[in-house]
Amino acid sequence: MSTDNKVIERSVGSPEDFATLFDRHAVKVHRYAARRISPQVADDIVSETFLVAFDKRATFDVTVADALPWLLGIATTLLKQHARREAVAWKGMVAEIAAGVTPDAIELAGARMDAERSVKRITTALRRLSPGDRDVVLLYAWGDLDYAGISLALGIPVGTVRSRLNRSRRLLRSALDIAIDKEIFHGRTDTATQRSI
Amino acid sequence: MDELTLLRSARSDVTDPTPQALNEARSALLTHIEDSRRPTAALATHIRRPVLRRIAYSTLGTAATAAIVTGLVMTDLVGLAGWRGGADAAAAAVLREASGMAIASSDPILQPGQYLRVDTSAVYGGAAAAEGNRQIGFLTINEGQMYIPANRDDDWVWMRGLRKPYQSFGPESEAAAQDDWNRQLAKRGTPDYQENVRAPGGTFYATSSPNLDKLDGLPTDPYRLLNYIYRITLGSGPSPDAAAFTWIADSLRGFGAKAEIRAALYEAAAMIPGVVITDSAATLNDRTGVSIGRTEPSDGLRHDIIIDARTGRLIGERAVLVDPTKKSPFPVGTSVAWTAITITVVDEAPAGGKLYGDMGLPG
Repeated sequence: MSTDNKVIERSVGSPEDFATLFDRHAVKVHRYAARRISPQVADDIVSETFLVAFDKRATFDVTVADALPWLLGIATTLLKQHARREAVAWKGMVAEIAAGVTPDAIELAGARMDAERSVKRITTALRRLSPGDRDVVLLYAWGDLDYAGISLALGIPVGTVRSRLNRSRRLLRSALDIAIDKEIFHGRTDTATQRSI
Repeated sequence: MDELTLLRSARSDVTDPTPQALNEARSALLTHIEDSRRPTAALATHIRRPVLRRIAYSTLGTAATAAIVTGLVMTDLVGLAGWRGGADAAAAAVLREASGMAIASSDPILQPGQYLRVDTSAVYGGAAAAEGNRQIGFLTINEGQMYIPANRDDDWVWMRGLRKPYQSFGPESEAAAQDDWNRQLAKRGTPDYQENVRAPGGTFYATSSPNLDKLDGLPTDPYRLLNYIYRITLGSGPSPDAAAFTWIADSLRGFGAKAEIRAALYEAAAMIPGVVITDSAATLNDRTGVSIGRTEPSDGLRHDIIIDARTGRLIGERAVLVDPTKKSPFPVGTSVAWTAITITVVDEAPAGGKLYGDMGLPG
C-alpha cells in the first residue's frame, strides 16, 4: 500500500487517486470535528476539508508520509468559522460528562468536587484559551496527534507546540483547581476508568 | 484524573459518520476533482497554482549559461511566444479587432462609495457515482453577484446563490440532478437562498486578496505578455498553449483588467497556435458573439472565449466536449462548463454579510 505522500504525489498528475486519502482518513477527521462541534457539522467539515485539501495538494510536504496532521490542520482552520457553535457544543458537554464521570475517578484526582462543576470549569477555561493554544490542546486531546503531528498541522515549530501545550494544560489544570503538587502527570497514559458503563 | 483525561473522556463516545454522510462527502470530492479539469471558478481571478513550475525550472540545469537564459526568460524577452506560429488568420483578425475596440473603450469609473457589480452565471458539470464505477453527468448553474468597492481595500460583498440544476441527459441524469438539488434544498431551506459574504479587500473565507493590482502591472506588449503567461502557467494545464489560453480567458473574464491590458490579452491570444474561430454566432446566456477557441487533444475539450463583436467585450467562456473517444459522463457537443459575466456600476452593495459563509469556499 502506498503511503499518503505517494498518493498525493500521484494525484497531481492523476487527480482521481486523491480519493484514496478520503477513504483512509475521513472517519478520523470526522471524529475530531465531531468532538469539537457536533456530528452534524462534522459532516460538512469533512466534506470541505477534502475539497480544500485537493486544491492545496500541490503544497503538501511530500517528505511527510502521513497526511492526517495536514488534514486535521485544514479541518482546524475550517472549524474557525464555527467558533460560536463550538462554544455552544462545549456547554452541552457539561451535562453529558457529568452523567458519565464516575465519582471514583474524580476522587483519583484528589479533588473532591462534583463532576459537573469540574467540567464547567474546564470548558470555561477552554473558551478562555487563546485560539492558538486551544487548537494545540484539542488536536492533542481530540485529534490524537503527537507534538510532531500538531507542528505539521498548524505549521508551527515543535518547540512552540510544547510551550503552548504546557501553558494550556497549566491553565486548564488551575481552572480545575487541582493543586500542582498533588497532580500526577498522566497525560495520554492515564488509563483510569472515567466512565461508568 | 488530569485535565487531558477529563477532556478526552468528555468526548470519547462521539458517533462516527453515517455511511450516507460519508458517501455524500466522497461524491462531492469526486465531483470537485472532475471540475478541476475544467475552467476554474468564475470569481476567483488568478488563484492559479502552477504545480509543476518548480520542477520544470529545475530541468534548466545548473550550468552557468542557464543563469543568462533564466535572465532572459524571467524578463519575458525570450519564451514560447511567437516562433511556433499563432492563431488562425481569421481568429487573429477578430482578436486584433477586439483588442482595438478594447483600447478605444473606456473603463467604468467609480466614484467614491460606488461599486463595480459583476454578475456571473457559471455552469459546471456535476457527476454522481453509480454502480460499477460509472459516473452520471448533469450540469448545474451558479449565479452570483460580486460588489467591488471603489477603494479596493474596503469591504467587498459577494452574494452567492445555490447550485441549481441546469441540464440533464436522460432519466438517470435527471434523477441525479434532482437528488443533488433536493439535498441542497434540505440544507438551505429555500431555492432562493443567497449567501452574503463580506470581506475587506476581497479576502473571502480568509483567503488572500485577489490582488487586482497585479493584473494592472502586466506587460502591455503582447509578445512579452504572452511569454509571461507561458512562464507562469508552465506545467499547470494539459499543454502550455491550453494553459496560456485558459489564463487569458480567466483574466478577461475577471473584472480587474484595465482596457490596455484587455487589449494586450486579446493580442496575446492571437499569437497562440491552434486558436481558431469556432462559431461566428455563438450564444451564451442569451447574448451572441464570436466564439474563438482551441481544442486540446489531451482532454478532448475545446475551450472558447466569446467576444461581443460590436464592443470587443468578453461575453463569457466555455469548454465544449468535442472528442467522442474520451471517456466522459456527457454527450459529445455538450458545453460541459461555461461562464458568462455582466459588469455594471452601482451606488450601493447589499448590507450585512460575514467573512465566512455557511457554504464554504467554492472549488
